[in-house]
Amino acid sequence: MSTWESLVMGFSVAAAPTNLLWAFAGVTLGTAVGVLPGIGPALTVALLLPVTLTLAPTSAFIMFAGIYYGAMYGGSTTSILLNTPGESASIATALEGNLMARRGRGAAALATSALGSFVAGTLATIALTFSAPAMVRVALHFGPAEYFALVVLAFTSVSAVLGGSLLKGLFSLFIGLGLGLVGIDPLTGKARFALGVSQLLDGIDVVILVMGLFAVGETLYLAWCWTPGEEDVVSPAAGKGWMGLTQEDWSRSWPAWLRGTAIGFPLGVLPAGGAEIPTFLSYMIEKRLARKPEEFGQGAIEGVAGPEAANNAAAAGVLVPLLTLGLPTSATAAVLLAAFQQYGLRPGPLLFDSQPELVWSLIASLYLGNVMLLVLNLPLVGLWVRVLLMPKPLLYGGILVLASLGAYSLNGSIVDVMLLYVIGALGAVLRRFDFPVAPAVLGLILGPLAEQQARRALAISQGDWTVFITRPISAAVLAAALLALLLPRWFRRRA
Amino acid sequence: MRRLLVLALALLPDIALSQEARYDRLRIMAPASPGGGWDQTARALAEVLREESLARVVEVENVSGAAGTIGLARFASAYRGEGDALLVTGLVMVSAIVMNESPVSLAEVTPIARLTGEYEVLVVPAASPFRSLADLTAALRRDPGAVSFAGGSAGGTDQLLLGLLAREVGVDPARTNYIAFSGGGDSLAALLGNQVAAGISGLFEYAPHIESGSLRALAISSPDPVPGVDILTFRQQGLDLSLSNWRGIVAPPGIRGSARESLVNAIERLVRTRAWQELLERNGWVDLYLPGDGFGQFLRSEQRRVASVVRDLGAGPSKSAAGSGEVAEMVFPGIVGVGLLVSGSLLLARRGSEARAPANRRALGLVCLGAVADVVLLEPAGFIVASSILFCCAARGFGSRRWARDAILGIAFSTGAYLLFTRALTLSLPAGRLFP
Repeated sequence: MSTWESLVMGFSVAAAPTNLLWAFAGVTLGTAVGVLPGIGPALTVALLLPVTLTLAPTSAFIMFAGIYYGAMYGGSTTSILLNTPGESASIATALEGNLMARRGRGAAALATSALGSFVAGTLATIALTFSAPAMVRVALHFGPAEYFALVVLAFTSVSAVLGGSLLKGLFSLFIGLGLGLVGIDPLTGKARFALGVSQLLDGIDVVILVMGLFAVGETLYLAWCWTPGEEDVVSPAAGKGWMGLTQEDWSRSWPAWLRGTAIGFPLGVLPAGGAEIPTFLSYMIEKRLARKPEEFGQGAIEGVAGPEAANNAAAAGVLVPLLTLGLPTSATAAVLLAAFQQYGLRPGPLLFDSQPELVWSLIASLYLGNVMLLVLNLPLVGLWVRVLLMPKPLLYGGILVLASLGAYSLNGSIVDVMLLYVIGALGAVLRRFDFPVAPAVLGLILGPLAEQQARRALAISQGDWTVFITRPISAAVLAAALLALLLPRWFRRRA
Repeated sequence: MRRLLVLALALLPDIALSQEARYDRLRIMAPASPGGGWDQTARALAEVLREESLARVVEVENVSGAAGTIGLARFASAYRGEGDALLVTGLVMVSAIVMNESPVSLAEVTPIARLTGEYEVLVVPAASPFRSLADLTAALRRDPGAVSFAGGSAGGTDQLLLGLLAREVGVDPARTNYIAFSGGGDSLAALLGNQVAAGISGLFEYAPHIESGSLRALAISSPDPVPGVDILTFRQQGLDLSLSNWRGIVAPPGIRGSARESLVNAIERLVRTRAWQELLERNGWVDLYLPGDGFGQFLRSEQRRVASVVRDLGAGPSKSAAGSGEVAEMVFPGIVGVGLLVSGSLLLARRGSEARAPANRRALGLVCLGAVADVVLLEPAGFIVASSILFCCAARGFGSRRWARDAILGIAFSTGAYLLFTRALTLSLPAGRLFP
């Protein structure tokens, strides 16, 4: 059967009324858990597993796919409105998105992220449909040395979030790198800097750091410099044009959506990719290419459109190694793999041949799910922006309750809640003294990746440092990183 | 006579239980987050216990972290003496107790039964020059560092098998080149991409790739050949080596003998049901049922064996041996430390030029008070109380003077969130005394 025939067959299964219903249930649930901090698609699917065992596998997976995509749409909502990213993939969205919301452009930010998610999700699903086996063959050429180079490239995006002072940005970065060292060293199994606290052995969860630095840190900081009589509302929900999107917004958004997709999908396919690297790379590229770079730091729409598209494209990319090789490369993918096993199915090189109906109806449901999510999320935009009309006392009270709820439900441990507030206090102090907080988050995410991949590469090469430049892909990516640092300076000098 | 009567009275409920073996309520703790192997085992147990009416209500609680040792510590203290609680455990926890210097060990809890397991396979990429186990062990003997093995987390089942293999062929386990990958997916990708020489993992994980021919299995870690699996065991190839990634269940410390007896009986009835056997089949789990005292003895011998392998691997907490070509674990922290010091001191050197917004200590204090109250009250008083207080403090900090409105909204919001998380999502939040 050709790809086209298979896809048509998949659509005929996925478009059956009951399956459409399951897909709708999935995307609705996914959007809801995406909005809530601390619980993501992985946890939701895991909790649903025992319940769905009575369903036919096809229906269950159609619903899971809906949850997976839905959570990616929902995740940007709290980032933009409340500066409270619920997971690491939507941090980059929060940077410009929240600034837009505060300037009364919340509706436009939410609309561009929903539309960008739809465009990226659909394009990436098309790429998944037609190029999965080829993509995976390329991805397997990436070993630890190449991943290390990729992380180095991602580190250059720190330059886009440094803020006014290079030194302050670097200090913040090193704080993040330091926090990333806490916990069991994955390569030797030895504890580092855990201070004898067993809850710290698994390290500081990036969700805790993000909610601490952003949600709690911001709230504490705002209380710190709050003056009585200040305006009671964060921002008025103003909006011109459709969904608050002006003609200019459209023409600035769509190239960013396409670029985000082009970055997100291939990096999502890589077995150690994840969504953090592509979202931050997209943010950096948008800032570099922007026609009005001065708007970055005040709410530039490209800074929302690009990372959001990259996030969703990466989410589709993760499905490529899962479906073609049975490689789970994200927490959600690992749970989906467990779900396959519960049905006695083994994703792997033979899945497309042994379960064509399941695989193709799953892929078809991704197209349908994207359409449903757009239809579901665009009307919600008007509703969500009303959150910003809440009086400040209630809004910030609510944010703190949600953050502590999210922190506690990660592991059911009070230590995480304490950590949340300690990091929140750190975030408030950093803000007070004009330190940017985004480099700290990048440090915590990228630091451990860089260390592990470098040490893995060196262990495989038995201590030979030249692997990073003798392997062609690694050398090329490192060269790209160097260019990313040098080119902007060179252009500036010529301009 | 009187003593006899007391004895009979004490025995009475036990007799009733062992005949019916039906629990009103059972609690099973999975020391991992939802989705993993231990969680699947806990939920599978719960499902069959309910289906077969061995228990009316079965609650599964997830306490994740540090390879199960956090769950173990909580289980041993919070459920002490309670005869209706079970904890899922396994080989990985035995190793983590040694690796993390856990204050609580499996010697303290009450063994109930070993239930299931998975065997490990040693594989090489299809393009590998190693055609057989003998080829690989010869290379390992020649230069242990040159044969890189990919597997799961450090000190886990995969590395234990490598340690046992090294010992068996006369190589110092500390000199083996084991590359720990975080998830199963990462190590598989490294193998399929020819990044490493060999890989070790559970059979189930590699099986599709062995079938398709992209990986070549050299040996399986079962003591006897597994029916339907066309892979030679280590023993068949002359190495006295077997290991299973077993999972079992234990009860809290200090429970009565009769309570232990009835748990063992309930599990005995469970493993005989068709539903359980079907579940094993579906998940690819090997039936390794071993009840009560037998499991206790097995547990002790595994603890000794694992402790000695971990020591030999040099992976334990006290040793610091870096194998060939490994970068020691303190190099990167050193770089980060220098970076922090340099950037920090440069900043200190040029401080004192910024103009700052006026500070509102009162507002900040109120929000901080709410945060402290949240941490202090969350577990003893419950989520709703702690969150409502947090909400009111924060609202007051931002200038609200409408106490009644804040309190009502805070309680409503917290209660809504509580019900959503606990009832709809079945996550556990501290209930306190308001919601029994």
